[in-house]
Amino acid sequence: MLEIVFLIPFLTGTAAFFLPHAIGRPLLVLTGAVHLILSVIVWAGHLAPIFPAYFAVTPEGLLSLLVISLLFFLISIYTIAYLKASDIHSENIFTGSMLLFLSTMTMVTLSDHIMVMWIAIEATTLASAPLIYTHRSAASLEATWKYVLICSVGIAMALLGSVLVTVAMDVGKVDAPISFSAMTGVAERMDPMWLKAGFVFILVGYGTKMGLAPMHTWLPDAHSEAPSPASALLSGVLLNCAYLGIFKTNTIMHAAGLADFSGPILIVFGLVSIMAAATFILKQSEYKRMLAYSSIENMGIIAFGTGIGGLGAYGAIICLIHHSLIKSSLFLTAGNILLGFGSRLIDQTGNLVGRMPKTFVAFLGGFAGISGFPPFGIFIGELLIIMGAFRTGNHVSVGLFIFSLCAIFAGFANNAMKISFDTSDADIRIKETSSLVWPQYILLLTSLVLCFWMPDSLYQTIIHAVNAIGGGF
Amino acid sequence: MIHPVDTILSLALLSILFSFGSSRLPPLIKVLAFQGVVVCIVPLFIGHDMSTGSLVFTLATLAIRGIIIPGCIYLAIKRVAIEREVEPIVGYHASILAGLLLIVGATVASHHIDVPYSSVSALLLPTAISLLGAGMFLLMARRNAIAMVLGYIMMENGIYLVGTTFSVRARHIVEFGILLDVLAGVMIMAVILQNITRTFDDVDTARLRTLKE
Repeated sequence: MLEIVFLIPFLTGTAAFFLPHAIGRPLLVLTGAVHLILSVIVWAGHLAPIFPAYFAVTPEGLLSLLVISLLFFLISIYTIAYLKASDIHSENIFTGSMLLFLSTMTMVTLSDHIMVMWIAIEATTLASAPLIYTHRSAASLEATWKYVLICSVGIAMALLGSVLVTVAMDVGKVDAPISFSAMTGVAERMDPMWLKAGFVFILVGYGTKMGLAPMHTWLPDAHSEAPSPASALLSGVLLNCAYLGIFKTNTIMHAAGLADFSGPILIVFGLVSIMAAATFILKQSEYKRMLAYSSIENMGIIAFGTGIGGLGAYGAIICLIHHSLIKSSLFLTAGNILLGFGSRLIDQTGNLVGRMPKTFVAFLGGFAGISGFPPFGIFIGELLIIMGAFRTGNHVSVGLFIFSLCAIFAGFANNAMKISFDTSDADIRIKETSSLVWPQYILLLTSLVLCFWMPDSLYQTIIHAVNAIGGGF
Repeated sequence: MIHPVDTILSLALLSILFSFGSSRLPPLIKVLAFQGVVVCIVPLFIGHDMSTGSLVFTLATLAIRGIIIPGCIYLAIKRVAIEREVEPIVGYHASILAGLLLIVGATVASHHIDVPYSSVSALLLPTAISLLGAGMFLLMARRNAIAMVLGYIMMENGIYLVGTTFSVRARHIVEFGILLDVLAGVMIMAVILQNITRTFDDVDTARLRTLKE
């Protein structure tokens, strides 16, 4: 009964639309907790799918599922405090959409059928659109419009790509189910021309959703206009879900012996994303947009690592996990700053260390983690990717990669110092209650612990996942 | 002999030219509804074995693509924006010329592509490519938000044509899921359109440019 993992949030989410917030808020946390328990049960291997043609437990899906579940539970605790402190109209739509969003993202991680995967990813767009429009302002309307239109058109490309992959089976006269696991088995006999075309369309399509440049234009707007818990979900897990679509298609490419084709394309998209992020972070004036561009950077790093393969692919998965943990904590922290200072502009903030000391600790920890300071996982991931790139002889691209990372660090550090230590005469509007800071602490601690001690089952799952795309040591 | 599918598909090609030449929204929506119907009846003539299930499915698709989706858009804009022009970035005559070039280009390109079932109809692949390209064109060459949504629907029609005719692998339940996603997407877009007209009193996307670097 594997399907229950996404059916429960679907049902509670639908119910939450009609419930008052006194019931909706506890329901959010309760569903998060149940979901986390179910995910652990799935991890232990105790749930089998009822529809094995459409759903399956895969190592890469398991990793994403566990990250989604943990993040959602912590974010739901934060959300309660956030909702109390902020002024949000029609809260039932917000909580309902959050739960439906969780349901659709879970469906992405568990789907094995190429079309069901598409349905689930498009459904994440639809479920998250109301979240971005929560504040009902003209700017949030514009962000929602861009998000829905750009992502829908982009994902339509992925649908075309998925159809082309099935055409590759027809042309190659292969008769097999169109699930990723079955297709990986028969990939060698599929027609390479159609498969390549399918991969390109899927990369462009899901790449739009993942935030790869130059299709990233919706991302900074959506992340800055959405309420912070929703931004944390968008950045922390939605981007991973889109990556999962690319990852699985890349698995087919590797099995078909077309890694020489898919690798360089991923490297180019990754590098362009990192460089675009570097350009915009250097002159950024809003902190939530800065975090959004940092997400584009990290998605670029992950695509780059996946394209490199070998050590790089392992590094990419490490970056994927730690980016989710650290970036969602940073977006929650940004929510505190926004609640406290009442402005998204970096210039309107300052002296965070004196004004909001608990938030400051989370902010500085998150900043250190996301910029790749040594004890954190992003550092290990980036180091592995750089080593992998040198091993495979991609000297020019790794040079650009390192240069862009330095530029991003400079821009990010400059703004982080301004927010933390500049003078400010603003009045702080909220009190830092424990549920407004502890979720961030736990996320950062999880990331830190995973660097020093990784459970063997987690390590095996990662190795198992990256083996399919030519990764490993 | 001319295959009946080719006759139907040529109607879809004509609808592209009509849509490029429409300056007002109601005719554009009608053309899209017509196109939805045309695209949906293609599987009936292609000669896969028709079971009752597939017939019901085709009719359901027809109802959604031909009636419900255009109806949603029409209702969304009925009050405010119905008299608006589509605010072209590229003029109507130039658009029609571009449409013709697109169809010619798609036909030339499809001669170089080897597809299964190409014996069924000579126009199938050119029409699918043209619909995709035409949808893209409407998205880029019109500033009116509603025309952009219609461009998206046209693209979806093209992909549907590729999907149903080239590959018969996907089960109906899966295809229906895709259709529901598209429908829900269009409904959400319609709600956003209503809010845009209420907030900005306009559907010109030139107003939607405050968020940028």
